[in-house]
Amino acid sequence: MHPLYIFIMLKPFPRYMGEKVYVLGAGSTKYGKLNESIIEIALNASRDAIESAGITPRDVKAGYISNVFGVADKQVHMAPVIMSNLGISDVPGLTIESACGSGSVMFREAFANVSAGFYDCVLALGVEKVTHTSTVESTTLFSYCSDFFYEGGNGASFPGLFGSMARAYLATYKATEEDLARVAVKNHENGLLNPKAHVRKKITVEDVLKSPVVASPLKLYDCCPFSDGASAVILCNEDFAKKSGNPYMEVVGSGRGASPASVQSRKDITTIPSTVEAARQAYKMANLSPKDIDFVEVHDCFTIAELIDIEDLGFFPKGAAAQAVREGRTRLNSDITVNPSGGLKSKGHPIGATGVGQVVEVFEQFTNKAGERTVEDAEIAMTHNFGATGASAAVHIFKKIK
Amino acid sequence: MTQSKPKNQSSRERFIEFAKNGNILLNQCNKCNNIILETVYYCDKCFSSSFKQISYAGKGTVVTFTIQAVAPEGFEDVNSYAWVIFKLDDCDINVSGFLPGISSPSDLPLGSKIKVIDFHEKHGLILQKYQ
Repeated sequence: MHPLYIFIMLKPFPRYMGEKVYVLGAGSTKYGKLNESIIEIALNASRDAIESAGITPRDVKAGYISNVFGVADKQVHMAPVIMSNLGISDVPGLTIESACGSGSVMFREAFANVSAGFYDCVLALGVEKVTHTSTVESTTLFSYCSDFFYEGGNGASFPGLFGSMARAYLATYKATEEDLARVAVKNHENGLLNPKAHVRKKITVEDVLKSPVVASPLKLYDCCPFSDGASAVILCNEDFAKKSGNPYMEVVGSGRGASPASVQSRKDITTIPSTVEAARQAYKMANLSPKDIDFVEVHDCFTIAELIDIEDLGFFPKGAAAQAVREGRTRLNSDITVNPSGGLKSKGHPIGATGVGQVVEVFEQFTNKAGERTVEDAEIAMTHNFGATGASAAVHIFKKIK
Repeated sequence: MTQSKPKNQSSRERFIEFAKNGNILLNQCNKCNNIILETVYYCDKCFSSSFKQISYAGKGTVVTFTIQAVAPEGFEDVNSYAWVIFKLDDCDINVSGFLPGISSPSDLPLGSKIKVIDFHEKHGLILQKYQ
């Protein structure tokens, strides 16, 4: 166990007293360059989730929508538009933004409202459309997710912020650019097995190292793509789930964390405090520890992020992630399967949808729909998703219902 | 150097004014002596909002940096540059800024000496290497 957890598991956290919450249905569009409008993309994923759950829109008592750059496709105040086009204009909706972590942060709010008993069934939908903008426009839009006065305003892009974190990590621990490349190779191997992944291409360590530098030391294949896409799930309480007659999984742990918004303000640039805290809360609520997790979907917006994530989530001691990746311990059906979907790196990163897409992957794994990328005998899974460089984060733990 | 707080200026305007003279404006908490950036409104240790302002020489050493192939809007007109996080000398505060003229990581070993020379409306906190 990560030494940090010996301390953090002892830290008090209010006992969870809410109703049990379940994921009853899930749907997702393909991630990539999509031609439909942002609303059509959102509706397609919503319809798939509603049909997967075996319900009708009338069963949905509230809609939670995560999105960041709706303005780029001329649509903000998105929730009422989506509710109206689902035929339930009388159902309240809420749009939530937390940069690249919007999906998981929104999922947490949907979870909390069902758990609190406000609703028995809700739609949790994430959506993004950015590929119609130029690279400079996208880079600029994303830079607005930083602490702009100190970061974007001084010329930092998101690859640049993670490049600076990567340089600090490589200088601190026994890790190399080849180790970063191995993360990309592994996630592309998994993504190749995912029909909805954005970048389905087998790559080698040499391909990564020879790809153009985007933000030193990160190269093109160290970076996830800008993607369009939407993912949606139906959350409900126990009574609703049992009456549905359809397969479902339980949300057994939920945690939120926060970090200083700017990288400069963190005492240690090689860790993300929001991840550590969100994971601590989720483990505590679930009464589980890292060794209980069969697979995890982590936020690998850049290869360096995955190394930091799997340490911060407690799967490996600080500084040991590179060695673990080198030994293949994070590959599909190894010690801890990391990103069976292909992760943000290969599956894609439609930022408002990503956190929900991770939940969709868990649902597909637990309902025998993951095909060749199935994690064998998996019963407990974790999702981890953060905003910007980790200023906001949410971690969830799910249990398969047999 | 302790400063009195000028009236009718936002915290960012004050930060920028001092940066234009090569300094970083910090707040020292009157209650617990914790030092934080001037742009933070409450002490992150004791949550007091009573500070004395300290103008600190904008000199330090490079903690980490990156050089980007695609710059955000507003930076397309600059040739290769580094975005740098540096630690102020004799003070446990990191600041980040824009360092023009850097095209290769070998131009900027970690630990290099850096100083603030200006704050540019378009490019933010401007840095320069020095020996």
